[in-house]
Amino acid sequence: MLRLSDVNVKFGKTPVLRDVSMTLPAGQTLAVVGESGAGKSTLIATILGLTKLDKGLITWANVPIKACRPSLVMQEPRAAFNPVLSLRRSILEPLSAKREVISETRLGQLCDRLELPLEMLDRKPREVSIGQAQRAGILRALIAGSPLILFDEPLSALDAVTQKHTAQLIADLQTELGFAALIVTHDLGYAAAFSDDIAVLREGRIEELTPTPAFVQNPQSDYGQELRAAAFALGALEYVA
Amino acid sequence: MRSVGFLVSALVALAVLGPMLAPHDPTAINIAARLSPPSGEWWLGTDAFGRDILSRLLHGARWSLGLAFVISLIGLIIGTVAGLTAALGGKAVDWAVMRVTDSFLAFPELVAAVVIAGILGGGINSLILALSLTSWMRYARVARGVGLSLRTRGYVVQAKLAGLSPLAIARWHYLPSLLPSLIVVWTGMFARAILGISALGFLGFGVQPPMAEWGTMLLDARIHMRAAPLLMIWPGLAVVACVLAINLVGDVLRDALAEKDSPQ
Amino acid sequence: MTRSLLGLFLRAFVVLTGTALATFTLLWNAPGDPALAIAMARFDAVVPADVIDLVRAEAGLDAGFWAAFRGWVVPLISGNFGNSSVTGRPVWPDLASATSYTVPLALAGLAIGLAISIPLAVLATRHPGSWLDRFAVGIASLGAAIPAYWLGLLLILLFAVKLAWLPAMGATTPSHVILPALTLGLGVAAALTRIIRSGILEARGQPFMPALKRRGISEHALAREHVGPHAAIPVITVFGLELAFLLEGAVMVEVIFGRPGLGSFLVGAIEARDFPKVQGVVILAALLFVGINLVIDVIYRLIDPRMGTQNA
Repeated sequence: MLRLSDVNVKFGKTPVLRDVSMTLPAGQTLAVVGESGAGKSTLIATILGLTKLDKGLITWANVPIKACRPSLVMQEPRAAFNPVLSLRRSILEPLSAKREVISETRLGQLCDRLELPLEMLDRKPREVSIGQAQRAGILRALIAGSPLILFDEPLSALDAVTQKHTAQLIADLQTELGFAALIVTHDLGYAAAFSDDIAVLREGRIEELTPTPAFVQNPQSDYGQELRAAAFALGALEYVA
Repeated sequence: MRSVGFLVSALVALAVLGPMLAPHDPTAINIAARLSPPSGEWWLGTDAFGRDILSRLLHGARWSLGLAFVISLIGLIIGTVAGLTAALGGKAVDWAVMRVTDSFLAFPELVAAVVIAGILGGGINSLILALSLTSWMRYARVARGVGLSLRTRGYVVQAKLAGLSPLAIARWHYLPSLLPSLIVVWTGMFARAILGISALGFLGFGVQPPMAEWGTMLLDARIHMRAAPLLMIWPGLAVVACVLAINLVGDVLRDALAEKDSPQ
Repeated sequence: MTRSLLGLFLRAFVVLTGTALATFTLLWNAPGDPALAIAMARFDAVVPADVIDLVRAEAGLDAGFWAAFRGWVVPLISGNFGNSSVTGRPVWPDLASATSYTVPLALAGLAIGLAISIPLAVLATRHPGSWLDRFAVGIASLGAAIPAYWLGLLLILLFAVKLAWLPAMGATTPSHVILPALTLGLGVAAALTRIIRSGILEARGQPFMPALKRRGISEHALAREHVGPHAAIPVITVFGLELAFLLEGAVMVEVIFGRPGLGSFLVGAIEARDFPKVQGVVILAALLFVGINLVIDVIYRLIDPRMGTQNA
C-alpha cells in the first residue's frame, strides 16, 4: 500500500504541496484530479523521489518508497524516449541498470499483450505513432516490475479513439498483473470510469478522497461539486453516472 | 554539405599526404641556393639556409593540422567531462567547476598559453599542454548548458528512474544530444589551435627549429623581410587558408544544426 | 540586486585567487632549479653551490610552497609586486611603464575597430543578403582567419619597407603607434562586424518589431528606440571578449613592432626566467580583465535585471 503522510513540498518559499495525506492499496487505482497548477506534477515527482520533501513521509508496504522504485508513464509519449536510441534499448533500460536480462519469448508475450509487433522495438521513437509510443512507455513501466506505476496524464497526447483503447488496456493489464496505479489527470470522465478512488487536489491540498462511485453521485467538497458539474456540462460523465 | 566534405578531405589529405608530396627534404641545408626566388627547381623559393619553402610548408601542415587536431581533441574531452560534471553533479559541484572554468577564462587564452609554454620550455609536449589547458572552457560551457537543458527531458528522467548510473546516463543520453554542438565548437577551437601553434612558434615557444612549422618559418622569414619578402607571405597564407577553410566548415555545420533544431 | 552584486564580487575574488594559485603552481613546478636560474641570470657565469643556496634563501624558495605563495600574495594585496629576480629592482615601476605603452595601443586598436565595424555592420544590414552585406561578412571572415602577427608583418612590409611612410620598430614617436594600432584594430573590426551585424538582425527579428512598424513608427525612431538597446547587450558581451583579444593581440603586436609594452615585458621575462616579473604581468592582466568584466556584469544587471537569475 502506498501511503503519503503529511507531505509538504516547497519551491523556495512557495508551498506547492500542503499536508498531503492519502493511501492507495496494492492493486488498486487512485485518480488524482485537479486543474493545472494544482500540484499534480509535483506530487508525482515527489513520490518518484525527484523532488525533496520538506516534511512528511512516503512509504510503500510500510518501508520508504525508494525501495519500491515506482515506474512512470509520461504525458508526452515520444519525449519519454531518447530520439537517437531504439525503443528496445530504452524499454530494457530498467533491466540493464540492474544487469538483468529478459528472455525474448517473455518480451514477445508482453509486446503481444500491448499490441506492439516485436520488430517495432527496433525503431526510433519518431518512427512509430504516438499511440504506439505510449504503449511502449507502458511496456517499459511493466518491465521494471514495480508494484506501483504512476501515470502522468497518460491519455492527453492521444486522439479520442486511441485514448479509449489505451485506458481500457491499462485497466486490463492492471487486472492481469496486479500493480497499483496512481493516475494523475484533469479528465474527470477518465478518472470516473477507471479508478477505485478519486482524490481532488487544489492549490497543493487534498480537498477530498472519495470512493469513485460515491464521488460521481455526490462529491464531499465544494470544489469537487464544481468539478463534477463542469464535467457533466461537457458530457464527460454521462456514460458513467 | 558537399563543400564541407570536400574541404575536410582536402585538409586531411594535406596533413596526411603533404609530407609525401614534398619535392625536397625540408631540413636539407643548401647554402649555395640560399634565398632563391621561386623557380622550376624551387617552386616557392628557398629560405636563408637554402631549404625548399614548398617542402617545408607541406611538412609544416602535419604540425599545424595534426597538432591542432590533437590539442582540440584534448580540449574537447576535458571540457565535456567538466561541463557534464557541472550539469549532473548538483549545485555545489556546478559552482566549483564553473568557477574553475571562469578562472581559466579570466585570462586571454593565448597569453596563458605563452606563459605555460614559455615556462615549461619549448617543445611539442609543452606546446600541447599549454594550448589544450587553455582551450577546454568553451566546450565546458556548451556541455553544461546543453546538459542542464537535458536534465528535465523525459528520457533522462526515465533513465534516472530506471536506476542507470550517472556515467551511463551521461554516455547514452547526454553525449548523443551534445555531440552536434560540441562539433561546432570543435571546428572553432581547431582553427584557434592552428593560430595558437603558429603564434607560439613565432614567439619561439612552440615547435623548435629545424623542424618546419608555419609559425617558426615566419619567425625566420621576418629577419629577411627586406631581402626576400615572399618568404613571409607563404607560411601566413597557409595559416589563413587552413583557418578560413575550417571556419567555413564550422559555419555550414552550425547553420545545419540551427535548421535541425528549429521547430518543424 | 545587492545579493547578486555580492555574488559577482565573490566570483571575481575566487577567480583572481584561482589565477594567482595556478600561476604560482606553474612557476613553482617549472623545470630546472629556479635558484640556479636566478643565480645564472644575475652573475652570468658558473656559480658556486653556496651562492645558489644564498639566492634560494633570499628568494624565499627554501620555505615550501605555501609559505612562498604567502610571501608573494600578502605583499601583493598592498600593491607590492616584489623584486625582479634578475636585476633585484622592484617589478612595479617597469610594469607600470609597460602598461603605459599597452593601454594607449589597446584603446587605439579598439577605436579603429569600432570606427570600421559599426558603419560596416549598419550598411550591411540595410539590405541583408545584398552584395554589400556579403562583402562585409566575407571581409569579416577573412579578418578572423588572419593572425595578428602576420597582418602586422604585412603592414610593416607595405608601409615601412616598400612605401617607407611609417616607422615600424620601437615606440619613440607618436606615429610609431599607427601600424600596431592598425594591426590590432583590423582584427577587432573583423570580430565586431560579425557580432554587431547579427545583433542588429536579431533585434529586427524580435516579434514586436513588425507590430511597431505597423503602428507607423518611423524606421529611424525604431532603430534608435528599439534596435539599438537590443543590439547593445551582445555588443557589451563582445566588449568583454574583445578585451581578451586586445590583450592577446597586444602581446603579439608589441613583439612584432618591438614596442616596450606588456607583451614584450612578458616575453622578455619568460625568456630571462624572471619569475616575479612573469607573476606580476599575469596578475595585472587578470586584475584588468576580471575588473572590466565585473563592470560589464554590473552594467548587464542594470540594463536587464533578469540576467541575475539566468546567470546563477
